[in-house]
Order: sequence, then structure tokens, then C-alpha cells
Amino acid sequence: MITFKRDKKEEEDGGGNPFQNLEKTTVLQEARTFNNTPVNPRKCAHILTKILYLLNQGEQLGTTEATEAFFAMTKLFQSRDVILRRLVYLGIKELSSLAEDVIIVTSSLTKDMTGKEDLYRAAAIRALCTITDSSMLAAIERYMKQAIIDRSPAVSSAALVSSLHLTSVSSDVARRWANEAQEALNCDNVMVQYHALGVLYQARKADKHAVIKLVAKLMRTSPKSPYAACMLIRMAYKLLDEVDEGEELIGFIESCLRHKSEMVVYEAAHALVNLGRSGAREIGPAISVLQLFCGSPKPALRFAAVRTLNKVAMSHPAAVTACNLDLENLITDSNRSIATLAITTLLKTGAESSVDR
Amino acid sequence: MAILDNDGNRILAKYYDKNVFPTSKEQKTFEKNLFSKTHRANAEIIMLDGLTCVYRSNVDLFFYVMGSSHENEVCIITRHCQVFQILSWNINLLGLFQLILMSVLNCLYDSVSSILRKNVEKRAVLDSLDIVMLAMDEICDGGIILDADATSVVQRVALRTDDIPLGEQTVAQVLQSAKEQLKWSLLK
Repeated sequence: MITFKRDKKEEEDGGGNPFQNLEKTTVLQEARTFNNTPVNPRKCAHILTKILYLLNQGEQLGTTEATEAFFAMTKLFQSRDVILRRLVYLGIKELSSLAEDVIIVTSSLTKDMTGKEDLYRAAAIRALCTITDSSMLAAIERYMKQAIIDRSPAVSSAALVSSLHLTSVSSDVARRWANEAQEALNCDNVMVQYHALGVLYQARKADKHAVIKLVAKLMRTSPKSPYAACMLIRMAYKLLDEVDEGEELIGFIESCLRHKSEMVVYEAAHALVNLGRSGAREIGPAISVLQLFCGSPKPALRFAAVRTLNKVAMSHPAAVTACNLDLENLITDSNRSIATLAITTLLKTGAESSVDR
Repeated sequence: MAILDNDGNRILAKYYDKNVFPTSKEQKTFEKNLFSKTHRANAEIIMLDGLTCVYRSNVDLFFYVMGSSHENEVCIITRHCQVFQILSWNINLLGLFQLILMSVLNCLYDSVSSILRKNVEKRAVLDSLDIVMLAMDEICDGGIILDADATSVVQRVALRTDDIPLGEQTVAQVLQSAKEQLKWSLLK
């Protein structure tokens, strides 16, 4: 029944794209209806979607056009319609680099970000931070610190990610908010943990000893979030380049080979085989993991594994020989990139004995 | 991140690094190229123009997530940190992101699928374009993954549940929307 109806509807529309023949000038003309009161949420949301669609298609707006559309859009703050409000945030972000005087919405956004509705707060924070410049930063600092330690993961993540973006406005943002980020790091949410670690690293990256301390502390507790774990492995890998004794760091990366997330296991294996200092013995366990991945039903895993093996084959061809059989199976892989990588890897490791096969 | 139709035309696309494909002409050329390389073989992953692209298709839609594929090169920071700047920020290390890209792709696909109520096709995406835009915005913020869990992304975009007349919703959908509403009213 439903499908029948849909077919009929498609026939009527000719199955075409309702957004196909949009004219920039017409749409901007339509945007004037934003000034009408009371706001018609459904209609305005549709017009706003058209504007966003045009921008997404690569349509260029002049400064005057963009500013006019932006100011019309600010009128929509009167409406309490959730979807419309969220589209307005999106519009603010898209137009903020094109229009002038965008700071006009600061107070509306600050009000939303401190309001009660979690759905508004997270999105308002992100929109606010795209229009924030160095002079406004001090004014929102207090709210941002609060948002970072908010109990809602969406709000906390939004604030942490925004503070990472704000480092381009003021380089010491991350350092000033590090205490809050430290607290957010203890959050149960996997994304919040990941974003908090990002901010902490940003805050301390200039100070090698601070990074060592951060990594050492986290290695003991081993973050639950696979994303944070991947990042920690990268940080440890970077440190190994700089410090002399790194037994503990290597031990940590090796222990990650047994993590339950494939993402982390791969990241660890990749780090181990790329360490300049490791010999055949150290990379052994990593190679076995990659060998396992070669037989995975997931193309992305096979691709990742064979790509890494391909690179290792340059420095340690002997270590990769163990995987030759698996690599031979990959020559006929339905994914051409995987097959090509497998062949070139075999060319580096192959010996006379395998030529016949 | 990009969603293309079955002619390789852009439905939605978002580029997070201004240094990679700075103009919309370059972006569209890349998309055409990507589409011609991927529309027949459903191989899930491909390398193109120095980027790793993971993809997935359904009926008349193609979903792509792209990221840097340069390893251990300084240029990661300056040029190719497209989707996951956060990891490569000055950590100037290995840039192999396929597995994370994969989780972003799955999240994008599953979110869209649940927004459209499993009806993943061009027409449906265009009908709910506003919500799909919001979902993309919830998944990635300026190149940093914001959320990779489809359920929570869908919750965050606040589905418009009154779109379909009550008679046409399944019992499960009605229950789901009632649950959502209850949850939000409690959270307030």
C-alpha cells in the first residue's frame, strides 16, 4: 500500500529532484518571508534548506547577499520549532565566513547555550564558537568551561571540539581550559574521552615532560574509548622518537595488540612496525596480527593490513615472508587495490621457491 | 563526506580541509572521478588522489567518507589532514585512518537509514534533506569526528515524527516516537 502510493507520487513529480532547478536569486527572494511574523516553521525550514543546499552545491554568494540572508535568518530565532532552530545554527555556521557583522547573534546563541534544552545547547555552542573572535573569547569563557564539564555528553563534546577549533583564534585556549578537560577525561562517554584527550594534548604539546606525564598516567588506566586509545598510541609513538628509554611505552603499545577493538589493534600493529628502532623480534607479534587481518571478511581490514605489510616489506622483508601464503590468496581479491598491494609486496619478499605456485 | 546519486551528481558533500580541493570545481571533478572508479565495483575501499576513500552504496545512492592516506610525512599537517585533523595535529605521525573512516561511514549510513526509516534512496533523502544535513553536522565538526554512534546521532537530530500520518506508521514507530518524546520531556 505504502509503496504503491509512493510510486504514484513519484510519477506525478516525474521522480525528479525538487531542488534541481533552484535559482539563487529566487531563493534569496523567498528568504524575505523570514521577516514575517508569526514565523511559519515548516515553510521557513524548507526555504532555509534550499539556501543550505545551494551553498552545499558550491553556489557563490556575494557579501551583500550573504549578509542580507544572514540577517533575515536571525529573525527565525523567534520560533521555538526544534528543526528550524537547528537549521538556523547550521545556517549561521555556513554563512559566518561570508556575511558581515555576524556577531549580532552572539546573545541569542549564548542564551540558547545556557538554556535548558540539551539539543539546543550543544549545537548553539558549536555555532557560537564559529563566530567568536579573540575579542569575544573572554566573554564566553565562563560558559565554555561550564559546558566542558556538563553531564550531557553532547554538550561536553561540542565544547571540547569547539575549543580545539578556537585554538586558531587564540593559541592558549586549550591551556586555559585544561583543568576542565582533565575532568571530562574521566567521563564514561567514548567520544567525550577522545575529545578531552585531544584538548589536553593540545594544551601540553609544547612541553615534552608534560606530555610524558600525561601519557604515563593514561597508560596505566588504559582508556576505554577506542578512539582515545588510538590517539594515545600515536602520542606514545611520537614520544618514542624523542625519548631515549621507552621500554614502558613499547610495552603499552604491545599490550594494545590485545585490545578488543580492531581499530586499536591495527593502530598498535602499525605503530610497532613503523618504529625505526625495532628489530625483527619486536615486530613479530605485530606482523602476526596483520596476518590475521589479511584473512578478514572486511575489505577495509584486508586493505589496511596489506598496505602496512607492503611498507614493512621494504625494511624487513624477512619478517613479512611469514605472511606470503596469505598474501598469495589476496592476489585474486575482488578489490583491485588490495590485489595490487599484495602483488607488489610479494615481489619484495618472494623467493624462488614461491615462483612456481 | 559525500553523498552522490547514481549519475555521480552531488546530493550533499562536505569538505573539511580548505587545502584539499579548494574550489568547488576541483571538488566536483574529484567526485566525478571517484564515482567513475567506484560505481560498478562494490569494493568498499579505494585510494584516489592521495586520499583513502571508503564507500557504500544502496539503490541509487553512494556514500563516501574520505581521509588522508599519507603516512609519516610532514605534509599530513599542512595538506592532507582532511577528516581527522585531531589525530594528526602536530603529532605528525602515521596517517592511516581507514578503520576510523570505516566507523564514520557506517555511522553516516546507519543514521541516514534510520532517519529515512530504512528507505535509503535518493527521493527519500531529498524529502528529508534538512534532517540529513543536520545528521552530517552531528557526525563531523570541522574535520573532527563528533559522534560515531548512529543511534545517538539520530537522537540528536530530533526526528520530525509528525511527518507521516499516524495510520501509516507502524506500531513500532509510534512506540519509538512516544518513547523519544517521553525521554526528551524527562531530560528537560
